[in-house]
Amino acid sequence: MRTAARDHHGRISWFGYAASLAAVLTLWQYGSSQALIPLLFPSPISTWRTAVHLAQEGRLVTDIAASLQRIAIGFAIGCFLGVALGILMGSFRTVRLLFEPYVQFFRSLPALAWIPAAMVWLGTGEESKVALLVYTTVFVIALNTMIGVSSVPLNQLRAARTFGATRWQLFYMIKAPATVSYMLTGMRLAMGNCFATIIAAELLAPKAGIGYLIFSSRSWMQTEFAFVGIVILGVLGLLVDRIFHLATTRAFARYLPR
Amino acid sequence: MSADVTFRGVDFAFGTAQPVLKDLDFQVGNGEFFVLLGPSGCGKSTALNLIAGFEFPTSGEVLAGGKRIEGAGRDRAVIFQDSDSLYGWLTVLDNIAFPLRVTGAPRPERRERALASVKLVGLHGHEGKYPAELSGGMKQRAQLARALVLDSPILLMDEPFAALDAQTRSILQDELVQLNIHMKKTVLFITHDIGEAILLGDRVGIMRAGPASAIKEFIDVRLPRPRRRGSAEFGELYERIGQSISDEVRRALQREDSLLS
Repeated sequence: MRTAARDHHGRISWFGYAASLAAVLTLWQYGSSQALIPLLFPSPISTWRTAVHLAQEGRLVTDIAASLQRIAIGFAIGCFLGVALGILMGSFRTVRLLFEPYVQFFRSLPALAWIPAAMVWLGTGEESKVALLVYTTVFVIALNTMIGVSSVPLNQLRAARTFGATRWQLFYMIKAPATVSYMLTGMRLAMGNCFATIIAAELLAPKAGIGYLIFSSRSWMQTEFAFVGIVILGVLGLLVDRIFHLATTRAFARYLPR
Repeated sequence: MSADVTFRGVDFAFGTAQPVLKDLDFQVGNGEFFVLLGPSGCGKSTALNLIAGFEFPTSGEVLAGGKRIEGAGRDRAVIFQDSDSLYGWLTVLDNIAFPLRVTGAPRPERRERALASVKLVGLHGHEGKYPAELSGGMKQRAQLARALVLDSPILLMDEPFAALDAQTRSILQDELVQLNIHMKKTVLFITHDIGEAILLGDRVGIMRAGPASAIKEFIDVRLPRPRRRGSAEFGELYERIGQSISDEVRRALQREDSLLS
């Protein structure tokens, strides 16, 4: 429910964000003006000009679309596999014992480490890039889902057993809905991973993408390109996270803790 | 079908630990309201878990309606102390209709029977709320309504009012008495509250302090219902049970002290 107090608070925080953004941009502008070689530290103004120029060329849209498409495909496959693995690990002790050490192992191993292997096994096309994004998505979702499944209150399951629920009914009537909020938390973390990994994935001979935009700048000493890429990636990551959060809290409101 | 409950020489231990229950023997007759009263940690909830089919005795046998218990079943409804047994993503009405969804009853029948159950426990006006929006007393009413919807002949109540404030507790106790005058369920009610035991029970079984606990003494409560907490007979009985149980409480406390030191 929206209350007067909250609206007031909201306005204050928006004002705060705007002020902080202005301060950072000013600092950035000042910093680049002090640089010995301005070419190596582009100012916000020159970054903005480059962005506009790239947008007019149509390149910016192509790069953004290419990256977002890869993220969407990798994230979707990763969600599916992660949820399935997490449910199995949470429901069956043997599956958990078998898989958990590896899930924990790979969870903290960055996708960057897999680039040479991915290149050798899958080539430098889309497959290897999507595979890295799937990799960075699966384990965190599997772990969160597993924790969710195994933390369903015992009494909820016991009550259902007195109603005569079968194992399958326990699963889809209780464990699945009770785990939704854990899955969504895992997915949100995984989405963050995707934005971190897309740059690494696009090291692999890309034709387009934000990572391509950032790395191609190096060979032409066009540092502005890298800055445009960094800012766009950061803003996109922030936006996608907010949209995902708002959309899911609305769509799954009844499954979230109150 | 007879709905009696029998414990015959029941021992229970978790793994190789000291037994929680040792040679527990008692019977609850068909339609009887039996209260298991004891200090905390005496294993009374464990006894309820055995009859519910959540745990199994290490030796001896537990029977419901003359049949050995193989697991949880629709003939025995459970009301838990914690309202976390309600499903947070379902409305009150859907929670109460949940057992009927499990049994596969058609939707209109589910609604009709759930609404009847809502009326029985005085939850009207709250059907569309979620459990988190209910007070503690309302949550326990919802649990009771859900337990009644399958019309199980045996009700197992594990300190269902222990977490409520005194006023709400006393209202719910009175409502339960009124309800069971008509329902005539076989009830096994667990509590550590002497007043509650006298108010509700046809018979009270006082448990010894654990471990290796069993029933120390049975007391018949021959007062007409509804019972008044202030009456002289109530006070006498309270005194008598209080004396019997205070030894056990003291023993339980001594054991805790020796564990701590």
